[in-house]
Amino acid sequence: MTKILKRPEVLAPAGTLEKLKTAIRYGADAVYIGGNDFSLRRRAGNFTYDEMAEGIAFAKKYDAPVYVAANMVTHEQDAKGAGEFFRKIRDLGIAAVIVSDPALIEICITEAPGLPVHLSTQASAANYETLNFWHEEGLERVVLAREVTLEEIKQIRQQTDIEIEVFVHGAMCISYSGRCVLSNHMSKRDANRGGCSQSCRWKYDLFEMDHGGNRDSLLEDDEAFSMSAVDMSMIRHIPDLVEAGVDSLKIEGRMKSIHYVSTVTNVYRQVVDTYCEDPTNFTFKQAWEDELWKVAQRELGTGFYYGTPTEKQQLFGKRRKIPAYTFIGQVLDYDENTQIATIEQRNNFGVGDQIEFYGPGFTHYTTTITELWDEDGNPIERAPHPLMVVKMKVDYPLKPFDMLRKAKEQR
Amino acid sequence: MVKIIATVHSVQQAEQLLHLGVDTLYLGEKNFGLRLPHSFSLCEIEHITKMAHENNKQVCVAVNGIMHNQEIEKITPFLQFLEKIKVDAITVGDPGVIHLLKKMNLHIPFIYDAQTLVTSANQINFWAKRGAVGTVLARELTYEELRAISKQVSIPTEILVYGPTCIHHSKRPLLQNYFNYTQQDPSHLDKNHLFISEAKKPETHYAIFEDQHGTHIFANNDINLLPYVDQLYEAKIHPWKLDGLFVQEDTFVHIVEVFIEAKQALQANRWSDQLKEQLQQKLLTYHPSERGLDAGFFTKDANDIK
Repeated sequence: MTKILKRPEVLAPAGTLEKLKTAIRYGADAVYIGGNDFSLRRRAGNFTYDEMAEGIAFAKKYDAPVYVAANMVTHEQDAKGAGEFFRKIRDLGIAAVIVSDPALIEICITEAPGLPVHLSTQASAANYETLNFWHEEGLERVVLAREVTLEEIKQIRQQTDIEIEVFVHGAMCISYSGRCVLSNHMSKRDANRGGCSQSCRWKYDLFEMDHGGNRDSLLEDDEAFSMSAVDMSMIRHIPDLVEAGVDSLKIEGRMKSIHYVSTVTNVYRQVVDTYCEDPTNFTFKQAWEDELWKVAQRELGTGFYYGTPTEKQQLFGKRRKIPAYTFIGQVLDYDENTQIATIEQRNNFGVGDQIEFYGPGFTHYTTTITELWDEDGNPIERAPHPLMVVKMKVDYPLKPFDMLRKAKEQR
Repeated sequence: MVKIIATVHSVQQAEQLLHLGVDTLYLGEKNFGLRLPHSFSLCEIEHITKMAHENNKQVCVAVNGIMHNQEIEKITPFLQFLEKIKVDAITVGDPGVIHLLKKMNLHIPFIYDAQTLVTSANQINFWAKRGAVGTVLARELTYEELRAISKQVSIPTEILVYGPTCIHHSKRPLLQNYFNYTQQDPSHLDKNHLFISEAKKPETHYAIFEDQHGTHIFANNDINLLPYVDQLYEAKIHPWKLDGLFVQEDTFVHIVEVFIEAKQALQANRWSDQLKEQLQQKLLTYHPSERGLDAGFFTKDANDIK
């Protein structure tokens, strides 16, 4: 098989301007952000118009489209001002909006013509006729329900022309997205309007109850009933997704750190490029998966892609301690002559620590800190203050925006 | 006029419900409809439809599942059958089915029923423009929101006045997965009597069951809007739907009767606090006491929900 020219887009989450820039530097083809309104991650540090403009200008240099998630399910009044919002972001240069509410879709199409609409996974699109419906409505892309299998995607691809986006990495709803209101009923927080209290990850009793109200608990082995899903990772199956004809590979996590976003984006970029460059000789490198484990927050699985998830894709039993690494800093500058790196601290580190540098293009360098100086060149033992600037000698060429992490002490 | 819609457990019960004065029988079969008290054969659906039409009543068939390719491939003959026997409407929750109706040139009126996703007048009007003849309101709406919606829509909006509220639909077999993990054999369990409760609120009892669509979890208490039917009547929020999923079929007939009495009293201008109390007491004698009843989001304040 020769080189694959039509590569699927690697789509990364960008909760803030810094995350947007990081994602793009680390290889994202496109990013998605939240606007001030209409977004489902109200706590994800949504963008102001000024920040959006700056993000779009930055992304433009890399030819990276910026999408806005406006995926809330509106109640009366919630959609007020949506037309103006869509026109404003269209004029700023947003490449598409991700929407699930048909009322918002209609407002966008009629009041902000020229702004492409993607159907959010919240709408649970799981068959080709649903994609055809939305295609005829004028949408450009559908983010499939996470319940769709790889075989179903292949079939959907053959029966539709609309672009297909799928989730490849990150946390998952255990329900059909959009069809869970546990949070609404249990804690008066509307999951479909950005308030999800993650009730599915709570612990429950499971019991049989007769008409007299007598309960007989079915819990065993001190294991509570829980619906918590492991996170998704399709890193080992990129060839399957490319061959199925998927247009966009989406990484979840507008709330995640720059450490997470840079690491995950970096790995997916690497795997997609390696496979598409030479599909015939592609072999999976364990290092790619190992890299993801450095920032993983839960166990990982493949969701519905290869069949209905069993108990192995739920978080039962004793949990492993993850993540295994701590993000400790970002390179601000590197002087090739003196080999001095200037670093902005993000977590406490110091002399004697074994650290790892990584950068875009999947570069890595491991070293042990022997000497450390403060900004003025005074030797120091530790860098304890958030965002403090320190210097160290590194005999490996670093670049600004390379990052540093260290392994957590395993107890 | 307020119409009453009721789910059906059996052919015999359908007959009883029609005689009671139910306007629309709501039934279906398990592959395409969600959370039904009974899965009917095509032959039974045809029989019930005939029976309803002879009584000048209607039949609505549940086609409200989230469809995957496999269902979409099998659904056309089913829809053709429903068109042939002239069911009065179907509920649809997946736009793929709406697309298919058009593509196959099938003329079956449809009611948009995407459960949690019907929360505003603009959404309802969107689906009305695409041919919906009615819609089923989400359960997570307050009275004020319902009133506001009712004023701005042109198609009937079904509201659940009695029955369970599904609050979580997962495609995963969450019970089976738990039983597998703890190595239990669930075969002796009665699937209609399983519940979960929050660790912090042990008194809660959310019904849970599994079928080929996955796992379904229901609200702590079943909905009962009997104390508020006068408000629904005045605000023109109807038809009223009753769902007998978790009650015995004879019990359900009695419960439906209570609501029909309420409707008739309202229409004859005979509604009173005394009658309300009397009917409420009657309802409580039939409703399974262990399940609980409340008004759900109807009595909540929209501003309290984040």
